Amino acid sequence: MDDAIDCDVHCAPESYDVLFPYLSDYWRQYITEAGVRLNGMAHAYPRGVVAPAPASYEALAERVLRGASEPRIVVLNCLTGFETHRNPYFAAAVAAALNDWLREEFLSRDSRLRASLVVSTVSPDDAVSEIERMGEDPGFVQVLLPVRSDLPWGHKNNHPMFAAARAAGLQVGLHAWGRAGKAPTPSGFTTTYLEDYLGNQPIAQAQVLSFISEGVFERFPELRVVVSECGFAWLAPLLWRFDKDWKGVWREVPWVKRRPSEYVREHFCFTTAPAHLPSDPVAIDQVVEMMAGSAALVYASDYPHEHGDALAALLGRLSDEQRRRLMCGTAADLYGLAAGADYQIR
Amino acid sequence: MSQLEAHTDAGVAMKRAVKLVDCDVHAQATEPMLAKYLSAPARRLLERYGRRTPRVTEWYPRARNAGMRVDAWPDKPGHIWGSDPETMRAQLLDEFEVDYAVLEVLSGQDCYDHPDFAAEWNSAVNEWQAEEWLSFDSRLRGTIAVPHEYPDLAVAEIQRRAADDRFVAVLLPASAAEQLGAPKYWPIYEAATACGRPVAFHTGGYVDHRGAGYPSFYLDYHVGNGIVMQTQLTSMVAGGMFEAIPGLRVILTECGVAWTAALIWSLDAAWELMREDHPRLERRPSEYIREHVWFTTQPIEEPDDPQHLVWAIEQARLGDRLLFATDYPHWDFDSPKQALPRALGDSLRRAILCENALALYGLPRERAVGE
Repeated sequence: MDDAIDCDVHCAPESYDVLFPYLSDYWRQYITEAGVRLNGMAHAYPRGVVAPAPASYEALAERVLRGASEPRIVVLNCLTGFETHRNPYFAAAVAAALNDWLREEFLSRDSRLRASLVVSTVSPDDAVSEIERMGEDPGFVQVLLPVRSDLPWGHKNNHPMFAAARAAGLQVGLHAWGRAGKAPTPSGFTTTYLEDYLGNQPIAQAQVLSFISEGVFERFPELRVVVSECGFAWLAPLLWRFDKDWKGVWREVPWVKRRPSEYVREHFCFTTAPAHLPSDPVAIDQVVEMMAGSAALVYASDYPHEHGDALAALLGRLSDEQRRRLMCGTAADLYGLAAGADYQIR
Repeated sequence: MSQLEAHTDAGVAMKRAVKLVDCDVHAQATEPMLAKYLSAPARRLLERYGRRTPRVTEWYPRARNAGMRVDAWPDKPGHIWGSDPETMRAQLLDEFEVDYAVLEVLSGQDCYDHPDFAAEWNSAVNEWQAEEWLSFDSRLRGTIAVPHEYPDLAVAEIQRRAADDRFVAVLLPASAAEQLGAPKYWPIYEAATACGRPVAFHTGGYVDHRGAGYPSFYLDYHVGNGIVMQTQLTSMVAGGMFEAIPGLRVILTECGVAWTAALIWSLDAAWELMREDHPRLERRPSEYIREHVWFTTQPIEEPDDPQHLVWAIEQARLGDRLLFATDYPHWDFDSPKQALPRALGDSLRRAILCENALALYGLPRERAVGE
């Protein structure tokens, strides 16, 4: 695994206290007086079954960087911004503080580390400002957005974010969860954790449709979207229907100039965790073949989240070249981490 | 004169082996057509205030011809697409030699109406269906429209129609005020099961796109119908209704079929990881789906390599669970002659076009012609 690029490893501050050096007096007071607390996204990662994300470089080094896997590069996803999602001013302040913390605590201390840029998920204007403030720091490789949203991310209101991301050389990472407290389904709330957990997958499908239908990749041909922790086996059947429907109603979206599946193949990647797959190796081979024509997979441990051991079964069915692309090559191209480059960020 | 007509003329009863069952055909009532079945207060309410439900075409206009087959609009005053039995008979039953066609009248579906009105309105849909359609052609079968947001009223409507065996299923939308696996709706499923009917969930209804937000276009809305049904099937399994109602049979209608395998793998994997989260599920989710769930085919997914569709069907073990449907008179009509790729093979095609539906609905394998 020493040449692996791990595209989804989690870290999160234990409390807002850690962010105080990066917040103004107003927000320190707001947090203190309102009793605002971080809960580690307990609705998404129940504390009784999911270990907390590393809260310091030492913990990350101990648990991931010096562990059995020793990946060459790790992309950190800090989901703490998904917890502060309604007050737009607070969301923007916390996003900036989290990025300052990520840089000081992690990126500046280990050249193997990269991170997703935390941005306000409720105000595209504020997201643009944060991308402009911090996006060119070479430690950040993509803009982090929650897969759950109020308007699908492909919507034209969000395009300034994608323009800013490309100007800063960033891609977009869509990660499971977000919008705590908002019903995740077309008919309201889920009653079991299992439904909420699996709910990320249909929502990710809706986001894929949005990016294509809104013509995002015609406007931003260099943009890539990495979908994390939302599965991938659903992709090929979705595209079969998407292509068929587009043939019937393309007049509605004249900016979609090619078959939807062609855009998806060129612009989307999916992380390997969770890899919910069949147990039958023949069926895994079929998934691999259908996936090969649909979009690329990139390796992610998703530490500290557990999704079962389907990844090992998947890797066992790949050719050496396919495995190398999945573990490292595709992500290196995606994030501009070409082999032989100097990874020293400062 | 064909041989069939000759026999009829001679008064000789003739039987035909059933070859084609169309499990999703839309008869569409206009408001005036249903108004005559309403009580005076309900009719006045309808005339003065109209219904609370906006049509989906107001949110997502369809690119051409209002989303219908161009030829589906009858040249008859007061009629719209799907409202005239003679047009449907000529364009569907006769043209494709359909042996049975299951009507799904979506005119009743919403969850905005007052319960009194909703009950009358759905009852009117069923009266109209029985009088204007089921009595018009013996090849037609109906589905019982119900005011699903008011389960006690829905149960009463099911019981009112149960003796009429031309109604072969209970019809619900694919989206509602609560998740379709919610215990609120179980009395409807129990009543349907008690009178031997499956429950058909048809794409549509009150779809509030809360997960990712509202799509902008008909294109992503319409492709998204398959995604909505994935969420509902997850709710049905996780909520425990198949465990609670052992004889329940559900038909997922107009939502695609090829996504099923991936959902089953996810459900089974999550079930293994989270056993304590859903203690009522004693078996793997895939087993409940295998026993309780059928799918109509239209709009059938079309991969570049048709073999991939075969794989998708095999992976989810859907060979005896797929029901052919045209979705007449909608724009994306799947023709019985062309929609199923040859790669599926003759026996699977036969099962989908006819055998699976006969077994599910308990329809006769032969039908009298020339009645």
